[in-house]
Amino acid sequence: MRSDMLVSILSDLNGASADIEATAVISTDGLTMASVLPASMDEDRVGAMSAAMLSLGDRTAQELARGELEQVLIKGDSGYVLMAYAGKEAVLTVLAKPNAKLGLIFLDVKRAASSIAELL
Amino acid sequence: MSYDFDKLTSYGKSFSELTPEREALLIEVGKEIKPKLASITEDFYQYLLTIPEATTFLGGRVESLKKTHILWMEGLFTGPFDKAYTEHMYKVGDVHVKVKLPVEFMAGAMTLINQRLTALIVETYGHDKDYCAQVLTAISAVTGMSLLMMQQSYQASTLLEELEKFLKISGMSRALFTNLATAYRDI
Repeated sequence: MRSDMLVSILSDLNGASADIEATAVISTDGLTMASVLPASMDEDRVGAMSAAMLSLGDRTAQELARGELEQVLIKGDSGYVLMAYAGKEAVLTVLAKPNAKLGLIFLDVKRAASSIAELL
Repeated sequence: MSYDFDKLTSYGKSFSELTPEREALLIEVGKEIKPKLASITEDFYQYLLTIPEATTFLGGRVESLKKTHILWMEGLFTGPFDKAYTEHMYKVGDVHVKVKLPVEFMAGAMTLINQRLTALIVETYGHDKDYCAQVLTAISAVTGMSLLMMQQSYQASTLLEELEKFLKISGMSRALFTNLATAYRDI
C-alpha cells in the first residue's frame, strides 16, 4: 500500500531528528495523503495551509525572480514550518522545534521528498 | 454558482414589505398603468443621456435597452413575484456586472424610475388619496425588492471576480482554495 509506504517514510523522517515534531505529505490541492501529526493538530488544516503556502511561495519566487522554488520556511517563536515539493504533485511539510538544527533537517527533508516523489 | 432563489425571494420580500396584498394591487392597476409605461421608459433614457457617466454605457444600445426596460416595467405590474422573478433580477444584476456598470447606477436608475412612476400614479389615481398611497407603497416595495436582488448579484459577482484575481495572483488552484475553505469552514 502506497499510503503505508508514505507513512513509513514520514516515520523515518520523524525519527531522524528529535527536533522534528510532525510531518505530512499533501497533494498540491491541499489534501493530506499521509501524516504523522500530534493528535492536537487538524490534518485538513495542516494540509490545506501547507499547500496554500507552497503555492504562494512558488508565485513569490517567480514574481521576485528567485528561480524555481526549493522550499518555504516559516519561523515562529514556537518553531519552524518547512514545506518543500515532493515531486510535482505533492508537498512535504515538516514542523520542527525552535532550536532545531536546520542544516540536518533540510538534508533529511530533501531525501524524504525525493523518496516520496519516486513513490508517487 | 448555485443560489437559493427561494430564500432570496423571501429575504427580498421581507425587506421591501412586498406583501401578497400589494402584489395583487400591482396586478390590479396593471391594466391601466401598463399602456402608459412606454413614456416613462422614453423619458428615463432621455434623462440618462444627459448624465455623462451614464452615456458611456448606453452608446448605440439605447433602442434595444428600451425594449428590455419596458418589458421589465410591465413585469412590475404583471407578477408573479416568485423564484423565477428573483432569478431573472439576479441575472440582470449579473449582466450589469459583466458590462462593468458602476454599482451606484442601479440605485440611481431605480430612483429615477420611481420618480417617474410616482408622477404617473399620482396623475392616474391622485383623486383617491388612500388608493394612490397604497399603489405608491406597492410600487416602492416591488422596485425595492428588485434592487435588492440585483445588488445581491452584484455582491456575489464582485466577490467572485476578486476571488478569481486572488487565485491568479497567488497561484492557488480553485480546488486548493475550496479545500482550504473546507478545512476552515467553522470560522
